[in-house]
Amino acid sequence: MEEAESFSNPSFLQDVSTRASERSGSDESPAVAQLRKLLFRRILIGASDGRFFLGTFHCIDKQGNIILQDAVEYRHTRRSGDPSPMEQRCLGLILIPASCRTSCHAECSIDEQISLLSINK
Amino acid sequence: MASRLVQGQEGETGGRLADPSISYPIIPAGEQTVWADVSPLIASACNDLQDGQLIHGENFSLFAAMSALEIMDPKMDAGVEKCGYYSIEEAIENNVAPVPLSLNPTLDVQRVIDVIDHLFSCEATWYKGHTLAQTVFSCIYLLRIERTSSHALLHSYCRIMRATCNAVISVVSDSRTHEEEDLFTMAYGLPLKGEGDEKCLSILNSVEETISRQLRACKAQSLKKKQLEDIEPLQSNPDLEEGYCRALLCRLRFRKHYYLVLTSMKKPQGKGLELARKHVASCLSELTHITKSQEFLRALSYGFHQDDIQSSTTASGCRPIGFDASLNNRFSAPTPPRATHILSWKEAVSYFQKLLSDLDFVCSLNTDLVLDDVFCFIVQFQKPQPDLVARAHLQLIINLLKILCANTAWQRRKLGKILQDWSVLSLQLEIAFKREIGETLNVMVDENMSTKVSKHLLRWTEERTYWIASRFLTLGFELELYSPYDYCMVYWFMYLVFMKLLEKIQLQSAANNENSQRKGKKKKDHGKDQIRDASFSSSTLLIHCYICLSEGLAMILAALRNESKAFHMVGPFNGEEERFIQHFDLLLKAHVPEHATYYLFKESTGHARISSIIKDNCFREAQKIITSLRGSYAGNSDKLIELQQLEQVAERNRVALSVIDQIGARDPSLTVSFEFTHHPHFAIAVIKRS
Repeated sequence: MEEAESFSNPSFLQDVSTRASERSGSDESPAVAQLRKLLFRRILIGASDGRFFLGTFHCIDKQGNIILQDAVEYRHTRRSGDPSPMEQRCLGLILIPASCRTSCHAECSIDEQISLLSINK
Repeated sequence: MASRLVQGQEGETGGRLADPSISYPIIPAGEQTVWADVSPLIASACNDLQDGQLIHGENFSLFAAMSALEIMDPKMDAGVEKCGYYSIEEAIENNVAPVPLSLNPTLDVQRVIDVIDHLFSCEATWYKGHTLAQTVFSCIYLLRIERTSSHALLHSYCRIMRATCNAVISVVSDSRTHEEEDLFTMAYGLPLKGEGDEKCLSILNSVEETISRQLRACKAQSLKKKQLEDIEPLQSNPDLEEGYCRALLCRLRFRKHYYLVLTSMKKPQGKGLELARKHVASCLSELTHITKSQEFLRALSYGFHQDDIQSSTTASGCRPIGFDASLNNRFSAPTPPRATHILSWKEAVSYFQKLLSDLDFVCSLNTDLVLDDVFCFIVQFQKPQPDLVARAHLQLIINLLKILCANTAWQRRKLGKILQDWSVLSLQLEIAFKREIGETLNVMVDENMSTKVSKHLLRWTEERTYWIASRFLTLGFELELYSPYDYCMVYWFMYLVFMKLLEKIQLQSAANNENSQRKGKKKKDHGKDQIRDASFSSSTLLIHCYICLSEGLAMILAALRNESKAFHMVGPFNGEEERFIQHFDLLLKAHVPEHATYYLFKESTGHARISSIIKDNCFREAQKIITSLRGSYAGNSDKLIELQQLEQVAERNRVALSVIDQIGARDPSLTVSFEFTHHPHFAIAVIKRS
């Protein structure tokens, strides 16, 4: 990827969407690099009203707002939580604000899970 | 929260939980994969990101991402869990829609009537432009019809409601009527298809029969007559038996007749139209009985809260049980439906009365007619602005005239678009005709049949084309598409189009006369011809009247502009020529009529003066024509009404013209405005002096 680093311009004037490509490489933190590897993976996000959203990881910003592609919504059919059968509904491209995200799980192999756990520590 | 292992759904392998402290739903990961908690990773990564920095792949586009649905935003997320039941099953488990509706037979009957009335209001709301899911199918009994099978009355009513909805949806979708939004036919996720719906009428009939017998029995009892059969009453209070029987009977009969209206009208080639009219009449009569039942029902509230008579959705005023509109939120697209306000019961009754009269008008179509009459019929039909359901029925019957049946905005757009097609058709016919003439020129015989037919077709097509153009222009007034600055050019254009239309009609009628003379028609045919000739001559006179009025109005407006700069728009955007081209673009492209350029418009109107218009006397001429037309339109009330309107337009404009002449167009105290107080297309000059 081409890196168009321009030190003369203040960072907030640079095009936001090219900044990701600028930053890839050595000056990216390990956490960011690890998170970048999760792009296009299936992610399961729990929302504060009890629903779950399963989709492919498309985008995330500094505030923690996440965009999922081809998302499916899972919901309980009874108010009194578990156990209850779940319904699902296809939604497409969705944005889950950080404020209503209660949990976030990514689909990965058992080995990856171990390495993820080590990062978290 | 208890820790638990993820359990796969039947037969599927699930992944194991990484973090057992989170209570987990049954959503399987793939084979050989697990769900790993990445929240801490996200937290630290986000911490390391710069302001405004995003992590995304190469397929990311900020523009596309803007269309993402934002979860928990009530405008975009239909699934936000609010208080209320999470599913229909949960609502049913919580006894929201009990069967029977009450263990007390009297209360049960009352509640069924409330359900029937609320469904009636919901149905009218649906027709007016809301989704089925938010209206009729907010009824839990309809959503789970099988549950009602033990309750004959409720079950039969639900079955016929479902069958009626199906019938109406199929008419509307078959006719492909255009509306602003296609909310009407949206029905996915709803249990509309049911087995055995053809039998719904017989099921309803048997319930009706039972209640009729119950009514007879209670009347016999009140008269102390001996009863012929021992019949179980409808409900447990003998004093209320008659009232309840009657209230139910008229409702059931209305439903039956309405369904029969729909099925009759669907019969091909208009075979069922007369029968449909009979059913419409029955529906209207049952509606009066239904209205009368309100007094009886309203008096019995059983201590329940009653809504105000104007806003209640039921006759009794009590809220019906078994309805929940929020359960269906998820059935309409990913985005939430708009707030639906159910019509009141009284409004619903008026709505159906109007709908039935519009349907009756459709059924009154005489299928053995001349095409011109059909065009007139449709224009007349549109006048009371009939609603979607009535219009869809008309389209089934007259497919060819589909475009004229669309709502006026679509209609005008489509008419403009087809002008090009029609003028090309005329051109093709002309070429074909000329070619034929060329071929037969050498042969010294009379015009053969095909030449005659080609000529006739050509003239007919040209006439139709100008008719379409005139409708396109006049609809602009109804849709309020013209500003007063544009009236002059519009009337000028209408003048040209009407002139051409008149020319074509006269050519057609001359050819017909020639044909009949040549053929030496028998006496009995003369009668039919005479009628046709008479209608030709009255329609030509009417168009002549339109010509005079258009000319007069165009000239007044032009004169006012020339002499006092009124109606002369000077804006920073479009100039007059640009507005001319924008308004008449489709007509100019189709060369309808030929050579109708802005230059010609300026030439024709540039020298208009009030004094010269008075000499021309267009309005007086129009009045003379109207007087002579009164005789020919004697029996036709619609035409007579229009003549009356045109008379007013001609007279008032004539007077206004002489007043302007006396005061002088240049007088600064004079303000002239143009109002459509009498005729929808021809304005009247209104003079004010300050």
